Amino acid sequence: MSLFKARDWWSTILGEKEEFDQGCLCVADVDNSGSGQDKVIVGSYKGYLRIFNPHPVKPGDEVQPEDLLLEVQLREPILQVEVGKFVSGTEVLHLAVLHCRKLCVYAVSGTQGNVEHGNQYQIKLMYEHNLQRTACNMTYGPFGGVKGRDLICIQSMDGMLMLFEQESYAFGRFLPGFLLPGPLAYSSRTDSFITVSSCQQVESYKYQVLAFATDADERQDTEQRKLSSGKRLVVDWVLNIGEQALDICVVSFNQGVSSVFVLGERNFFCLKDNGQIRFMKKLDYSPSCFIPYCSVQEGTINTLIANHSKMLNVYQDVTLKWATQLPCIPVSVKVANFQDLKGVIVTLSDDGHLQCSYLGTDPSLFQAPKVDSREINYEEMNAEMKELQKIIREATKTQDILPESEKQRDVTVTAEVSPDLDEESQAIDSEVKAGAVPSITVKITIQSRVAAQKPSLAVCVQAPLAVTCDQFVFDDLEPDSSETVVLSVFLKENCSPPELEGTCIVSYNIPTGIPRVSQCNFSLPLKLVCFPAQPSKAANHKLTIDTNKPPISFVTIFP
Amino acid sequence: IQAAWNLKTRALTEMVYVDEIDMDQEGIAEMILDENAIAQVARPGTSLKLPGTSQGGGPSPAVRPVTQSGRPITGFVRPSTQSGRPSTMEQAIRTPRTALTARPITSASGGYVRPGTASMITNPDGPFINLSRLNLTKYAQKPKLAKALFEYIFHHENDVKNALDLAALATEHAQFKDWWWKVQIGKCYYRLGLYREAEKQFKSALKQQDMVDTFLYLAKVYLRLDQPVTALNLFKQGLERFPGEVTLICGIARIYEEMNNISSAAEYYKDVLKQDNTHVEAIACIGSNHFYSDQPEIALRFYRRLLQMGVYNCQLFNNLGLCCFYAQQYDMTLSSFERALFLAENEEETADVWYNLGHVAVGIGDLNLAYQCFKLTLVNNNDYAEAYNNLAVLEMRKGHTEQARALLQTASSLAPHMYEPHFNVAILSEKIGDLQRSYTAAQKSEEAFPGHVDTQQLLKQLKEHFAML
Repeated sequence: MSLFKARDWWSTILGEKEEFDQGCLCVADVDNSGSGQDKVIVGSYKGYLRIFNPHPVKPGDEVQPEDLLLEVQLREPILQVEVGKFVSGTEVLHLAVLHCRKLCVYAVSGTQGNVEHGNQYQIKLMYEHNLQRTACNMTYGPFGGVKGRDLICIQSMDGMLMLFEQESYAFGRFLPGFLLPGPLAYSSRTDSFITVSSCQQVESYKYQVLAFATDADERQDTEQRKLSSGKRLVVDWVLNIGEQALDICVVSFNQGVSSVFVLGERNFFCLKDNGQIRFMKKLDYSPSCFIPYCSVQEGTINTLIANHSKMLNVYQDVTLKWATQLPCIPVSVKVANFQDLKGVIVTLSDDGHLQCSYLGTDPSLFQAPKVDSREINYEEMNAEMKELQKIIREATKTQDILPESEKQRDVTVTAEVSPDLDEESQAIDSEVKAGAVPSITVKITIQSRVAAQKPSLAVCVQAPLAVTCDQFVFDDLEPDSSETVVLSVFLKENCSPPELEGTCIVSYNIPTGIPRVSQCNFSLPLKLVCFPAQPSKAANHKLTIDTNKPPISFVTIFP
Repeated sequence: IQAAWNLKTRALTEMVYVDEIDMDQEGIAEMILDENAIAQVARPGTSLKLPGTSQGGGPSPAVRPVTQSGRPITGFVRPSTQSGRPSTMEQAIRTPRTALTARPITSASGGYVRPGTASMITNPDGPFINLSRLNLTKYAQKPKLAKALFEYIFHHENDVKNALDLAALATEHAQFKDWWWKVQIGKCYYRLGLYREAEKQFKSALKQQDMVDTFLYLAKVYLRLDQPVTALNLFKQGLERFPGEVTLICGIARIYEEMNNISSAAEYYKDVLKQDNTHVEAIACIGSNHFYSDQPEIALRFYRRLLQMGVYNCQLFNNLGLCCFYAQQYDMTLSSFERALFLAENEEETADVWYNLGHVAVGIGDLNLAYQCFKLTLVNNNDYAEAYNNLAVLEMRKGHTEQARALLQTASSLAPHMYEPHFNVAILSEKIGDLQRSYTAAQKSEEAFPGHVDTQQLLKQLKEHFAML
């Protein structure tokens, strides 16, 4: 969510279907041109190494062929590229390329041609190390406080730190309690390595302690020695941050103070040298990468944090200073100086979208898509409106949200039970053992005041009673018409019914298609199911009823 | 193999991760069976349960509509203060004037069944980890695995009980020195409704290590225990430790808003914007605040900013339309509503738009259009009490008293917190001479909104009438 978008200064798309990750982007003056002009070095998981020197004539120009200084395919996937003083005896910058099982250090040099596109660049392998273990990532720096050269530390997938003093392998150490490799950084002020372990803790190991600890290779030899000899690798300090980290950066912009920045999955931490939290910020998005880049104001540090919703946020400590939209989700972000333009933001996405951009106030106004708007013909509209109004008025007359009162019922159904039993019994399939099962006629009348479509009548009585016909379907009813049907009710099964009530239900649609129902009840006489019998004096069972109320005389009950 | 297991656990968790702090809905069962109620009658300004305890500066319901719980509508839907489905923050700028009257969530568990919960996503290969067969003690002793496993159980499987067991074992194994485990135990207790226990855990965790999240969790516990003042103090304490932390300031602002102290809330929302000027919630809340304090032009500017930032949904255009209307920019009003209708995702949103259009129609005097708009509102959402009420007023004008009365009755049964239907019934009955009914309705209206002058006048008038008789 931002008003602004990153202004495109130079951008390109690298290769086809290549994959890139955090370590694949590096920005430095790798060919030692001395002009202080940074080059963009990109390595891909397909093994392509590319070096760019972006210099568009005007911002947003297309990529010129001569911007690509070098493209070589190395045999193995490139995990990480770094630039530093990696070759002994010289302080010029060299390029270190980390493969899965190999570390190579190259010298990059260019020969000037007569014209600009005649310039030639090549890389020369200075030295390489074959690795015993699969590498994950690396960091470099003046370990142990050496002057004028950089040493490399590689973290392997199984938690071993391998240290290289330039052309020679120094030693390897296993990190205690290791499970998965986390990001790794070197702090030159405290001379220690900082990583985030699988315990969700930031851990700091002194270089000194690493150097004197038991050699990892020996330790593997015998279990016995591991326990007895050498010092155990002791952690310098630990800070529990309670989440996994994406990246760690150690920076010191003003003398004397260095800060450890940890980008977690949900929070962003700034730690002091001794592992205390200087400040933290809860992020309400999921970040993808970050870089602390400079200190504009004394005592504060500015940081770029990119996130998965394609935003790049600029923070001064915890205060959001700027937010800008990016065209894609970056996996790595750097700040570079080109030509006469300083502080260009270089971003790389996982599918190889490399962009150099700057922050501009040109708003990327969100353009709401157009709602399809027709040319309005007022006369037609008016006519249509009138038509619709008419329909609405009609509709409001006949129907409403609120139910109408009973007397306005459109369709009424009435049932009439004849006073006498049928002279000729209509009973069919009766299971009653008695000689003649009586039946009674019920006359049902449907009266309709409006047109009713598809009316159907259902009559139901409780078993063991039954009707001769329980379903009737009629043709559509005209307004003010009526239908009458006649049916008979009888006792079907050989037991006494629980009730003598019956229901008839009419369902129909009114002309607008809304289904309606109306119903009525009728009650059947007792003589349908009972025969009169003579009172018996000598009974098997006797029932005596006492009452404190004056009883009704028998004559009233049995006339 | 452990490493791979760990990775997969983390990946699965990440797939469904929802920040627990934003996740909160009080089910109706929890509200009713609240055992934590300590004082039944809270002192003014110390509780969120009495809606009317505003200490000045709070708008009256005549100006700002209230939600069912009697709180003024905020400009932003967030779980637990409004009805609202648990939706992502950015998508949820709620229409003013029409807060969907909160339908209570039917059960305690209902609130936690959210789209993200994986236990509802069927996995073709069966569950990754079979919880019932897990030896929690074994895992608790491996801190590397335990944390990932805990998050998996808690977020992915949504099995709080097992998660709690694991956390309890693990914190014991860590000799109670790991603040992270304490926070997790606190989270579990919170889910299980054991707020006092949760509070203990969070406090203990804070003693070990100050973390923003812990402050937020603890404040949440206090809010649930209905101690907003304690929560406020806690937030302020947190701000001392982490100056400028947006989530903490925002928490303060929300509490003030819920306590009806709108001016303080706006103050804090402005602080939020000073720290993070892309904060959608703060912009929306300040905007709606301006709207209800009769400054639609300023509100319009806030909403326009949201639009420029890329918030593009029905609610925003709804708000824009209303602001335009009240700022007398009629040309923009209808096109905004047109867009809002176009963007409406469900019938409830459509109902909101039609309701607002009805308002506009009333405003410009086109009663026929208004009538139809309110009808359309009801077609889209047939328990929209406000629309029933307004429709009734229109019917009243037409002279259909029976219809009007029925509509008003529906309205008041749907939304007993609104005073308007009662008042309208009172007026209607008074007109047709049914003084007794008028009096009872007026009393109900007064109950819903004690400060309503018209109601009081009507009551007085009726009393005089009765005295004369």
